[in-house]
Amino acid sequence: MIDFVSDLARERGFGPKRILEVELAAEEALVNILTYAYPKGAGDIEIACKGEGGSRLTFAITDFGVAFDPLSFPVPDLLVELAIRRVGGLGVFFVRQMADHIEYQRKGDANVLTLTFTKREPQKGENSTHTEGT
Amino acid sequence: MESSVRQIADVTLIRIDGRVDHATAKAFEEVIKPHLDDTGAAPLPKILLDLGGLSFMTSAGLRVLMIAAKACAAQGRDLAVAALQPAIAEIFKISRFDLVLKIHPTVEEGLSSLSSEAAVLWEAG
Repeated sequence: MIDFVSDLARERGFGPKRILEVELAAEEALVNILTYAYPKGAGDIEIACKGEGGSRLTFAITDFGVAFDPLSFPVPDLLVELAIRRVGGLGVFFVRQMADHIEYQRKGDANVLTLTFTKREPQKGENSTHTEGT
Repeated sequence: MESSVRQIADVTLIRIDGRVDHATAKAFEEVIKPHLDDTGAAPLPKILLDLGGLSFMTSAGLRVLMIAAKACAAQGRDLAVAALQPAIAEIFKISRFDLVLKIHPTVEEGLSSLSSEAAVLWEAG
């Protein structure tokens, strides 16, 4: 599944670093589905590439498990001292950081997470739509 | 994921190669964990992770590092990483892991910072 995503990014001409970022977001999204939508074990996950190509890549990841909106997860506080910093919570954070647009919908008995990526090379330190908490 | 461990004076140097993701995070944890035991040695060995061969890491790997960092901080021993590839450095940067452990550009610099004795031995090959 991850290979499917990275192969498509490669075909669209995404750079090596951006491909790794797309891969990271996809893996984190899928692991979250396995953890939260299917807490009792395995279930079906569908991943579809949307759009007709160009410099954008859009994936719709659909599962049929427990309703869960990853966008409702709190943004982790990354600036607190080590002793009190939370161990987990970075998965959804990485999805938010790496994707240019994220949308969640509950459609009937399905969770549909749509992630859009552009070719951006983020070394300039530019950030997307989400801001960190204080 | 592959790993190798060397003891250089008072520094345990652990090299990690390949990918640390959801599938391999457990193996990564099993490499690190034995070195976090409090053996009663005084002082406890310092730990340097050589991540020069690490090409991909997800939150599952960072979780293992966070647990290790907390354990080391509680024991009062140093834990550092070195030689991050650009994509890994980016992940550490955005997740503010510079506040979790020390990050060195190279293994040499990491060893020098942790232990002059280890640095001399490393230099000597």
